[in-house]
Amino acid sequence: MSDIHLKKLTKSYGGHLAVAGINLHIAEGEFFSLLGPSGCGKSTTLRMIAGFVQPTSGEIIIGADDVTSLPPEKRDIGIVFQNYAIFPHMNVADNIAFGLKLRKRPRDEIRRRVTDALRQVGLSGYEERYQRELSGGEQQRVALARVLVTEPRILLLDEPLSALDKSLREEMKYWIKDLQKKLGITTVYVTHDQDEALTMSDRIGVMQKAQVVQVGTPQEIYEAPKTLFVTTFIGHSNVMDVIVGSGSGSDMTVLIDGNPVPTRGPENLVPGQPVKLVVRPENVVIGPDQETPVRLPATVLSETYQGSLIRYRLSLGGQEIIAERQNQSGNERFNPGTPVTVGWDPGRSEALVA
Amino acid sequence: MTMVGTESEARVERPIRAARANGGRLWWLAVPAALIFIVFFVIPVASLFGLSFNKSVAGVIGLSSQFTLDNFIRIFTRATYYEAILRSIWVSAIVSTASLLFGYPLAYVIAKTVNPGRNTLLMIMVLSAMQLDMVIRMFGLMVLLGDNGLINGFLLYTGLVSQPLPLMYNTFGVIVGLVQITLPFMVLSLIGIIKAIHPSLEEAARALGASRIQAFFSIVLPLSMPGILAGTLLVFALSISSYVVPALMGGWKVMVLPIHIYQQIAEVGRWQFGAAIAVVLFVTSIIAVAIYHQAAIRTSGGRT
Repeated sequence: MSDIHLKKLTKSYGGHLAVAGINLHIAEGEFFSLLGPSGCGKSTTLRMIAGFVQPTSGEIIIGADDVTSLPPEKRDIGIVFQNYAIFPHMNVADNIAFGLKLRKRPRDEIRRRVTDALRQVGLSGYEERYQRELSGGEQQRVALARVLVTEPRILLLDEPLSALDKSLREEMKYWIKDLQKKLGITTVYVTHDQDEALTMSDRIGVMQKAQVVQVGTPQEIYEAPKTLFVTTFIGHSNVMDVIVGSGSGSDMTVLIDGNPVPTRGPENLVPGQPVKLVVRPENVVIGPDQETPVRLPATVLSETYQGSLIRYRLSLGGQEIIAERQNQSGNERFNPGTPVTVGWDPGRSEALVA
Repeated sequence: MTMVGTESEARVERPIRAARANGGRLWWLAVPAALIFIVFFVIPVASLFGLSFNKSVAGVIGLSSQFTLDNFIRIFTRATYYEAILRSIWVSAIVSTASLLFGYPLAYVIAKTVNPGRNTLLMIMVLSAMQLDMVIRMFGLMVLLGDNGLINGFLLYTGLVSQPLPLMYNTFGVIVGLVQITLPFMVLSLIGIIKAIHPSLEEAARALGASRIQAFFSIVLPLSMPGILAGTLLVFALSISSYVVPALMGGWKVMVLPIHIYQQIAEVGRWQFGAAIAVVLFVTSIIAVAIYHQAAIRTSGGRT
């Protein structure tokens, strides 16, 4: 078990920066997700930690060891790939025993540990099967067992759920998280799926254009996004063009349709400066009788039924915003064209400089 | 997990359904090729083989109903002929091995080259070797390997040898010629197979503690077996049946079976005996291939 330090880690491919000097500390036992769109450098970062890609500059420290120039086999890491990479010419038992054989463990110890590892991932009795006889979820479990049986210092997961269908993905999400907590192994998880990152992680590092733009707990990332990119990439957000009314930081207002609206935002803003006001759809409340500090007149444009949710498109001061309401019995429905009052908790809104 | 059963069932069912559809409607697409194959290959070869059971008479080609095994008895009782069988086999085996040893690294490099421009260049280099006629390429080799050739000329000039080295008109020359001819076939058989081995398999092995060399021998090489098998069988078949290369590079001194066949039919005019040698060559090569195939399947654990 070890922590991971990335110091000014950089990778450039012929002038193109894939990873631009990122600094990260991943604590011992932490489940850390690197989240970002494709091409943001998250996979390259993971492959540098694994040793498959040599960094252009910077350092990678696992525990107390600088592993920057070590080959993958000397790093004592475990990695699970998107396609699981089960060796097709070996049965499940030989796949899992692969790392132990390389470590020259005695034969009966290998057999015992393979059996234990299979029990741990819930695949007892699968020893003799081959890759072509396993479903995607089973391959995933074998890939994890193969890695965990060698007791690596850190676990790297490269989009391990993206090849599974939706229901299995849900199941594996909680299963992997539980296993990781039980073993307490430091884990770096690469994904482009914000849902996976939010449910599984202790902390998330959001990556954009070769850089880590925000690091925080899932709650911090979702509720207090620091940039417009983070707020739009993670979940849905209403982004309104507004201007600064007064103040800055946690005590400020912006003007919507001339009405001062309290919110929080960055420091050093000047009144009249154009900014973006960000509010999540689930935080926009509708109804003429709502008692929220922010109250503004709006018009319903359309209503979409989504099962557990009802989604409203609203016109607010000439801009379109989305509001989501729980579909509970007793909740009033609004027809298109209805004038309504909308509001939100200022603590759930954020002014961001574009 | 409830997914498992349905998923694997679906996987099994699909190829069967596809095969049934192919068998039902598409078989007639094979008719033109099958006709050509029967008229221009099966019939002539079968009549030649039939000829081998007739009494050998110089200058007579007609098939007769008089059945005799004289030709075969002659082949297996005269050292010239049964030694030629063994020579054909071991020369072809050496060529297959050499082709594999030279071809695998090249195929590996081409398979791992991702840059499309560089990849095309390498492929063109391999294919261009097949553009020139075999005879012309052998004449080129003679310029290199002959007693007054470039290699011997250089060695004599620098005083490293006082006599020219015997580089051709012997078994060595034949092997060099055959390796030159068969190498592209070996490389082409291997490239596709090596390309199909997903890089993550090698990387998974590395992360589990295998060095680059261990990962190659435990993952990449075993998974290349289908290509190695196909390539060596192809090269073996090309080598054992080659006439031009042993004729030119061996200078009629390396007596392999195709040389004997040519001599009997074209020089002595004994078609029946020549045909008998051809039958022996055919059967020998099939037996050798079958033995090799079985051995390869056993060592690769049934996956080929």
